[in-house]
Amino acid sequence: MSTNGSNGASGDRLIRVDMTRGTIVVEPFPSGWKLLGGRALSARILLEECDPTCDPLGPDNVLILAPGTLAGTAAPTSGRISIGAKSPLTNGIKEANAGGNPGQDLNKLGYRVVIVKGQPADADKRWGLEVSADEVKLVPADEHAGKWNYALCEDLTKIYSKKASFITIGPAGELRLKGASVACTDQDSRHPARHAARGGLGAVMGSKGLKYVAIDPGRSRARKPADAKGFAQLCKKYTRDYLDGPQMFKTGTSSVVPVAQMLNTFPTRNRVSGQSPHAESLDGKRIVESFETRGGGMHNCLTGCVVKCSNIVHDAQGHYKTSALEFETITMLGANCDIGEMDDVADLDRLCDEVGLDTIEMGAAIAVYMDAGKMEFGDAEGAKRLLKEIAEGTELGKMIGNGAAEVGKQTHHHRVPVVKGQAIPAWDPRPLKATGVTYATSPMGADHTAGLIVNPGMPEDQWAQASQEAQLINAVCDSSGFCQFMTPTLDDIRTFYGTFLGEEITREQIADLGWQSLLDEWEFNRRAGYTEADDVLPACMKEDPIGPAKLVFDVKPEIIAQAKLRMEPREELFSTKATG
Amino acid sequence: MPRVMIPPPYRGPTHGKGEIPVAGATVRDCLNAVEAECPGFGSLVFAGDGELHRFVKLFCNGEPVEQLDLPVAEADEIEVVAAIGGG
Repeated sequence: MSTNGSNGASGDRLIRVDMTRGTIVVEPFPSGWKLLGGRALSARILLEECDPTCDPLGPDNVLILAPGTLAGTAAPTSGRISIGAKSPLTNGIKEANAGGNPGQDLNKLGYRVVIVKGQPADADKRWGLEVSADEVKLVPADEHAGKWNYALCEDLTKIYSKKASFITIGPAGELRLKGASVACTDQDSRHPARHAARGGLGAVMGSKGLKYVAIDPGRSRARKPADAKGFAQLCKKYTRDYLDGPQMFKTGTSSVVPVAQMLNTFPTRNRVSGQSPHAESLDGKRIVESFETRGGGMHNCLTGCVVKCSNIVHDAQGHYKTSALEFETITMLGANCDIGEMDDVADLDRLCDEVGLDTIEMGAAIAVYMDAGKMEFGDAEGAKRLLKEIAEGTELGKMIGNGAAEVGKQTHHHRVPVVKGQAIPAWDPRPLKATGVTYATSPMGADHTAGLIVNPGMPEDQWAQASQEAQLINAVCDSSGFCQFMTPTLDDIRTFYGTFLGEEITREQIADLGWQSLLDEWEFNRRAGYTEADDVLPACMKEDPIGPAKLVFDVKPEIIAQAKLRMEPREELFSTKATG
Repeated sequence: MPRVMIPPPYRGPTHGKGEIPVAGATVRDCLNAVEAECPGFGSLVFAGDGELHRFVKLFCNGEPVEQLDLPVAEADEIEVVAAIGGG
């Protein structure tokens, strides 16, 4: 069940875990994959090693834990990790990424990816995967079965070293629910507050009996660049440029609420409106104000982050409540459910993190449930009860925990805002048509981080190109380990890659890398059974108008199809900042 | 003539234009000139008290603008930056 991991000690390696046999093999990381990390690496492995027609919760699915290419280096805000698999929510390929320290800890140890296959014969058994410089091994973890994420991580911090970081699932993952997330721990508190949330990847981890991964970086250091001096100078300049800039997320993504309200993309009451009467009370400004009286503040979720967009939210008694309370969470669990008190939204966010759930999917699922007449809009206590029922595994809890599409199916409700089975995020495709093109065409289903374009006035003839470029840029960003809030451009990323590897990475190479990632993902979905007929938004987005201009999603199918046909790269492709 | 650079989220009132040349002696004059030419723009950048919304930042030739009454010259470029992104 263990290996000393000494194969190729000075080179990069990968870890293969077979949960059916309980074995681990460490192999050299293929040199041909040197530019691949995060999302692109996950896509390549899934296309090569996972049957796209498999049962997502069966032994043939493959769970990927892939740090970004630059994770573990000194590049600022670059330590994110991608989790990948066939999604039980969309039945297509899925990548979701998270901050915290597990990504850089794995890469510092030289482990560029963990590939988990198979399934234990006994579904009630739980396992932990321990990764350190000395050893990689599976350990029994039955005593942690059913634990909520915070209690689990508190217990793990007592077992493992002070430096260890953790990747965990809560009860929702163990129950194999389609809204289950994978949690990663923060760099400072080691709270399980960073979630690779979308697509039900926690359920895949749960289906493999894997309750947690503990990574102890020991004395490992930042990965060494080929051009150490040049890389250090580049990191310094890039950090300085960022700090000299507007730093728009200095007070967190929740500061975006007023912009979204103005642009009619602050969905309310299951998206029947784009503006909420609670915009003032749900404004992120309230969180910042609370720091004075309650404590909390802004911090960095991963070591080496200069963006520091993560808020730490305290309750009225001054005790830690949750982190980070983001724009998407505030919108989907707040405005979209007509819940207007920030403290209630903080409670709901904490519950989602505890049970291991995607806040976007849960906000959408509860709103559909409310819209179907099963609960009053604005019933915050009712919403909290629902999330607790998910952890308890009741039938109602399972329905909510399986996401908005499942709630729509079981309640026979007509307004179900999902694409390819996944809930539409806060950013609304009716005022933001190009973002809607992304939702329709992204291999991930409706996902703002796949290619967000906040440009309500954009002419129709630019939507396809804007979506394609945003999808390509974000695919590269999510492969690099950079956080999208660091807003790197393709030129930035290729410069970092080139300096790290000691060779020039051309514009053509970096653009091809992003495009190939999208091609791999689209091909996986094609083999899984998806066709162009699935590249559509739901009826409610086409029929229910939003805002004073009564906007609907009326983008022509030929424009949507264009977004998947590669266009000649424009100069702007390389200087446009990633946004998500 | 100074130019005001408009971020994508705010190009609705400008009908997609990302750069508007305007006449004005100060940053505030220039933003008001954009509002005069593209009604609706002002409400995106100014709060009710006539000051900037807190999620909007301005740069003049790459330098942060601290005062809306900052004088501008003929060739100056005023960049409007708006917070977007979700988390």
